[in-house]
Amino acid sequence: MHRHARRISFISITILLVGMVVAVVPYLWIILTSVKRQVDATAIPPKIISPLSFKSWEQLLDGPFLGSLGNSVIITVATTVATLAIGVPAGYAFARGRFPGRRFLGGWLLFSRMVPPVIFIIPLFLFFNQLRLTNSYLGLVLAYMSGLLPFTVWMCASYFEDVPQEIEEAARVDGASRARAFLTVVLPLAIPGVLTVGVLIAIAAWSEYFIPFILGGFNTTPATVGLVNFVGSAVIDWGQMAAASLTLVVPVAVLTLFAQRGMLRGLSAGAVKG
Amino acid sequence: MRAPAPVDGGGHSRSIGALGERFFLQIAAWPALIVMIFVTAVPFAITIGLAFTNYDLVRGMDGWRFVGLDNFGELLRDRQTPIVIVNTIYLVLATTFIPTIVGLGLAVLMERSFRGVGIVRTLYLLPIMTAPVVVALTWRAMFHNDAGWINYGLSVLGLPTPVWLGDPTLAMPVVIIADAWTSVPFQAILILAALLTVPRELKEAAAVDGAGRASTFWHITLPWIRPVLLVVIVLRFMDAFRKFEGIQQLTGGGPGLASTPINLQIYNTGLYYHRVGYAAAWGLVMIAMIAASLLIVYLVRRRWS
Repeated sequence: MHRHARRISFISITILLVGMVVAVVPYLWIILTSVKRQVDATAIPPKIISPLSFKSWEQLLDGPFLGSLGNSVIITVATTVATLAIGVPAGYAFARGRFPGRRFLGGWLLFSRMVPPVIFIIPLFLFFNQLRLTNSYLGLVLAYMSGLLPFTVWMCASYFEDVPQEIEEAARVDGASRARAFLTVVLPLAIPGVLTVGVLIAIAAWSEYFIPFILGGFNTTPATVGLVNFVGSAVIDWGQMAAASLTLVVPVAVLTLFAQRGMLRGLSAGAVKG
Repeated sequence: MRAPAPVDGGGHSRSIGALGERFFLQIAAWPALIVMIFVTAVPFAITIGLAFTNYDLVRGMDGWRFVGLDNFGELLRDRQTPIVIVNTIYLVLATTFIPTIVGLGLAVLMERSFRGVGIVRTLYLLPIMTAPVVVALTWRAMFHNDAGWINYGLSVLGLPTPVWLGDPTLAMPVVIIADAWTSVPFQAILILAALLTVPRELKEAAAVDGAGRASTFWHITLPWIRPVLLVVIVLRFMDAFRKFEGIQQLTGGGPGLASTPINLQIYNTGLYYHRVGYAAAWGLVMIAMIAASLLIVYLVRRRWS
């Protein structure tokens, strides 16, 4: 019996270790490929280890990718700030009480979360063209909000619901206006949750590909779209592709380490509530 | 020209203050609503309208007209329609249930046998947070016929090395494997969180009553985590319909149409072949498919509880 149990735990640890290896191998490929000599990056059969070379990194930093990385930073910061500025108050309104349009807004947010962006993107492309919003940061931020705003409103509503209403009422009895009570009493209590939402918005905006692929332009191409240029039909440069991928992965890995506790809640947002 | 300062400035701002007080929740909520109308409701209405036109990106505003149900008639005759719909159903089912079952298995193992659950969890969060386009391109390199690590590993083991990205029967499995790399950890992490909420006394009581591990799992644990299982299944459903770069950059939807699901077809029809009206009709089909899958989930949930 004892031996049997031990064998089971041996098997399960083996399975978990295999799972960890599978999770890590693609990252290993990215890291190793980015510091290979370029002949070794596409060698047949593949060379897992090759002499160290930073040629791919040098080329990457000389090329246009750096500009698209800058675009990614601008778009990510702008999207995060704007989505929080609009979504946090709406989340509060949802958590507290009734107002006309609440049901409609709630239903519409749920619908937009269910419907993939491919449904909105062609009309958006057409009338953004009319308004000269294609190839502009403003247009991209607005389009990103189509998916991120519903997420933000839900998440924030759930955090605001955790703040006891009595605390807010006490502040209002003391003469604070609703806006003041919100800003000075409720928001500070919910700030850890709001920051987590901010991190998740930033990661989503940083990783977005589909929307800028269609609505972006020469001046606003973010790194996710720029990355694809390294593996076009004419040239395949896995070294630069890997190096560029690493610049996309590392910031997210750092944020993930810091914010992982709150992320669990964010992963399931929109299905638990709504 | 500057307006003269109001004499009764205090009263004026007090009335604005009163309005702000009374309508505070609306004022807080409406900017979000206005943005949503602009970026989703209006485009959605336009999509519905376009589905009944022959609007074409090359012709632009000139020469488009309403064509009634012509686009839907063409959908019925189009030889690509059944292929794309079958692909979509295949993709949605496979990327929902395979990761859920594997993820459930991993979560059970993590819950019972591992001390370093924290480390594993952090490690599993990374693929979930990695940009899908990076995931797609990396797997494309890993699946490369000659220079990829996967075929290299298979050849070292003396196994056959398939032409992963060129074989119509393998294109979809490739997409599903690359998807599993992010969705298995996703399911595992969320299911693990649910498993950790199963009361220990409940399982102990079952053990005292003579239930084995399998029986305890089937009769105690599984019913307890059932609501969470439904949630993670719905989340996968929704993600499966969204999946774009994971296919476009991995297989390009090919070879032929072998791995083209409906969203890639909409993109190709509307923005590659410029047939916006026909793409919009495809879009309405997609919404019908999403609605149908949500209806099924709803019916299952009603039967289960």
